[in-house]
Amino acid sequence: MLIKRISLIKPMILIFILIPVVTQAGQNQSMQELLIGLIPEQNIFRQMDRYRPLAAYLSEKTGLKVRLTILSKYGDIVERFKSRHLDGAFFGALTGTMAIIKLGVEPIARPVNQNGTSSVRSYIFVRADSKIDSVKDMNGKRAVFVDRATVTGYLFAAAFLRENGVNDIEKYFTEYFFTGSHDSAIYSVLDNRADIGSAQNTFFNVLVSKDPTIKRELRIIARSEEFPETTLCMRKNISPGIKNSLTNTLLNMDRDPAGRDILKKFGASKFIRAEIKDFNSVFNLAKRARVDIRTYEGDR
Amino acid sequence: MKKKIILSLFFLFLLFTTGAIITMFYILRVTSRLDTLITLHQVEILRQDLVINVQTVQSHLYTIGTSFGKELDVIVENVATLDSAIQKCSGCHHSPEISTKIIAIRDLTEQYKEALSTFITTTAGRERVERLQLVGANIGNMILAKTQEMAVIANQKLNEKTIAAIKDVSNSRIILIVTLLLCFFIALSIAASLTRGITEPVSELLKATRKIKSGELGYSTSYRGKDEFKELIEAFNDMSLTLDENNKKIIQHLVRLSGLYRITLSFHAITNVEDIYKEVSYGVAELVDVEQSGIILLDKDNELFSHRFPAFGLNPERMADIKIPKEEFVNIYLSSNRRPLLFNDNTGKLPMSDMDKSLGARNSMFVWIRQKGELIGAIRAANKKSGDFTEEDARMLGILANNVSVALENAKLYENLKKQMAELKEAQEQLVQAAKLAAIGELASNIAHEINNPLTSILGYSELIKEEADIHNIMRDIEVIEKESLRARDIVHQLLEFSKKRPLEIKEININNIISEVLSLVSVPLKDSNINITGNYDDVPTIEGDANQLKQVFLNIINNAIFAMPGGGTLAVATRSEKENVYVEISDMGKGIPHEILQRIFEPFFTTKQDKGTGLGLSISYKIIQSHHGSIDVESEEGKGSKFTIVLPFTIRQIS
Repeated sequence: MLIKRISLIKPMILIFILIPVVTQAGQNQSMQELLIGLIPEQNIFRQMDRYRPLAAYLSEKTGLKVRLTILSKYGDIVERFKSRHLDGAFFGALTGTMAIIKLGVEPIARPVNQNGTSSVRSYIFVRADSKIDSVKDMNGKRAVFVDRATVTGYLFAAAFLRENGVNDIEKYFTEYFFTGSHDSAIYSVLDNRADIGSAQNTFFNVLVSKDPTIKRELRIIARSEEFPETTLCMRKNISPGIKNSLTNTLLNMDRDPAGRDILKKFGASKFIRAEIKDFNSVFNLAKRARVDIRTYEGDR
Repeated sequence: MKKKIILSLFFLFLLFTTGAIITMFYILRVTSRLDTLITLHQVEILRQDLVINVQTVQSHLYTIGTSFGKELDVIVENVATLDSAIQKCSGCHHSPEISTKIIAIRDLTEQYKEALSTFITTTAGRERVERLQLVGANIGNMILAKTQEMAVIANQKLNEKTIAAIKDVSNSRIILIVTLLLCFFIALSIAASLTRGITEPVSELLKATRKIKSGELGYSTSYRGKDEFKELIEAFNDMSLTLDENNKKIIQHLVRLSGLYRITLSFHAITNVEDIYKEVSYGVAELVDVEQSGIILLDKDNELFSHRFPAFGLNPERMADIKIPKEEFVNIYLSSNRRPLLFNDNTGKLPMSDMDKSLGARNSMFVWIRQKGELIGAIRAANKKSGDFTEEDARMLGILANNVSVALENAKLYENLKKQMAELKEAQEQLVQAAKLAAIGELASNIAHEINNPLTSILGYSELIKEEADIHNIMRDIEVIEKESLRARDIVHQLLEFSKKRPLEIKEININNIISEVLSLVSVPLKDSNINITGNYDDVPTIEGDANQLKQVFLNIINNAIFAMPGGGTLAVATRSEKENVYVEISDMGKGIPHEILQRIFEPFFTTKQDKGTGLGLSISYKIIQSHHGSIDVESEEGKGSKFTIVLPFTIRQIS
């Protein structure tokens, strides 16, 4: 009888030991993590500050732990998406196009700016006191771009230069470099570290709104057509439930007071559904720039 | 004292409040120092965090390139923490020196962020990237340097503040101890002062109270006290004096009441009015302390009120003419509304002033004596030795006057009673004598016959003498005549002796002898009857009693027994003694007494002998035995006879 009792006690102790472990594991399982990448399109610290509230909101609403990670450089974005096992990323127009083609990611939503647009343009700008008015005037000058893997920070400028007779950028400019972010590119021209710059209009406008003197100090000499705004794309094999949950949460943010607050901090009025066809303009521009997206590395 | 207590308490309150304020001040000062120290330590912790963050970022700054992504997240997190910390620190209050450093670090942090971001995101040109890396690293080093400078300053401040805090703690301890000790000793001295201020007068009052309790009324404490205690002690002394005065008054009153009681008590034993006059006069003189006092009463014969003597301080001869007509006296009484009259100033014309002037009275008081609502006189007191007559004097004599009235009434009743008693006694004596004669009367015919026999013999022998010549025969006849004459004389003598009216004469008597004499008296009449007398006489002790009266009792009972046995029988007489008493039992074998009349035989004038009896015999006998403190008991059975048992004590006491 005593032996039987001892034999029963052991499994019970085991059950009591295992119950908390199993429960904890269950809890961890229930809080599934989504790793979302950010393209460093502006100062990475400001960008993180901008995206953190959105990530927190999504975590609260979807029940998923949304974690952000900076993808330092545009060019290797596709490789890093794979190597970091990202679940999704806020892609720029070009990186998004590359990811769609190379990784098969699916665009789900993109923000609408405060002015009602959900598209971006590329500006080619010089300092206001510069004597550069045309591509010819740029010869032998210093140029600054954001990254090869950006439409607004490089691809449009490349297409524009090519269409204006510049076939070899390295020879045409005495110096050219990539800042990795749009605001750095703008500050490079402002700070006279470069003579010509190319950056996205939204970041240009943000800096102008913060410091109106910038508008007076810089002169835009070329504007591109519209390209899709930064778009959240999810990996192709993501769970439909997660994808739908994320999509619905983003699309309904503007109907939720807390969501509206987050949107305001983010600098958007709402999120709209994104589709692959939104990226057609990028394909067209790539053609103009004689770039094959399928083989384009975006690296220097 | 109340003011002193309030002031002391207020001072104590101020003292403790001051102590509390000082304590609070030093506690706050010390805690403020400690707060500063804690803040400085927090700043140090913050600085160390900053250093750690910057150092982490710096280390990763040089490792960026290979597995970049992860390090970038770490850099971003560290810089975010760094930024958050420096922003938080900027919001705190610091010394200008520290604030300047913090602002510089904050600016450097912004630059650091910018440089790092530029470095991290810049991709074109290796030299440019390396330059940007160096710029970032330099800014990081500058932050570290600034942080180090801040640490030096903070440490210096920390040391200063720590020393100051330790000093403050030490000072606080001393101040607290001094404050507490000061408060304690001052409070102790105040308490001691208050206690002394209370216990001293209380102790003095307690002592005084004990003195008063032990009978020392009027004791006044010499302790004067202060404040309320001064008033209390003064009030206490007043109270003690008042108690003493009241006690004296009470004692005086008690003395008077005692005197009054003594006078009135004597009334119970007084039976003649002169004694009442004397007791009252002398008692009043003592009670109200006067030179003259006496009783004025109405003389009904001449309708005049005059003094009765003996009286105190008054000469009867001098007073002989001082009389007040009843009408005048009653008018004064009525005009006084029946209240006592007090004349403390006899200079004017006042009621009774003629009498007072005649008697030389300076002042006087008249208290009325009433009997059954009618004025019969007054108690007069005059010439009070000290002071005036008071209402209290009047009340005292008023009580006495009421008692005098009763005493006079009692004396009068007693006189009447005495007179009536004398009359009653006389009547009783006459009654006894009558009963006695009646008893003799019952014997008279037989006695006459008995006397006739010796007389016949005398006559016969006288005739024989005339014829005898022989002297011897004559002498023999003469002897017979003499003998018969003596016999007749004895009978007559006995009869006379019995019939004499004698006063009560208590002597030592032998009851057997008394019975023998009675039986001798009745033996003559019984000689020819068929009644046989038996006697059974114990040797009984002598008793105290009146022989004549007891003879009368026995004669009555034996006469009744003989009467009850007309056809003859036995008359049994027995005596015995038992427990200080002599028992005489007289039994007959007569017809007995019917039960219904047995209870009435001792009633006066009750008789069954009709014309032959007075009905007084047994009634008188009963009274006589009662006067000898004895008793008569009778047992009777119809047809068998009766038995009378007379019990007489050996000694009679208080026979008057």
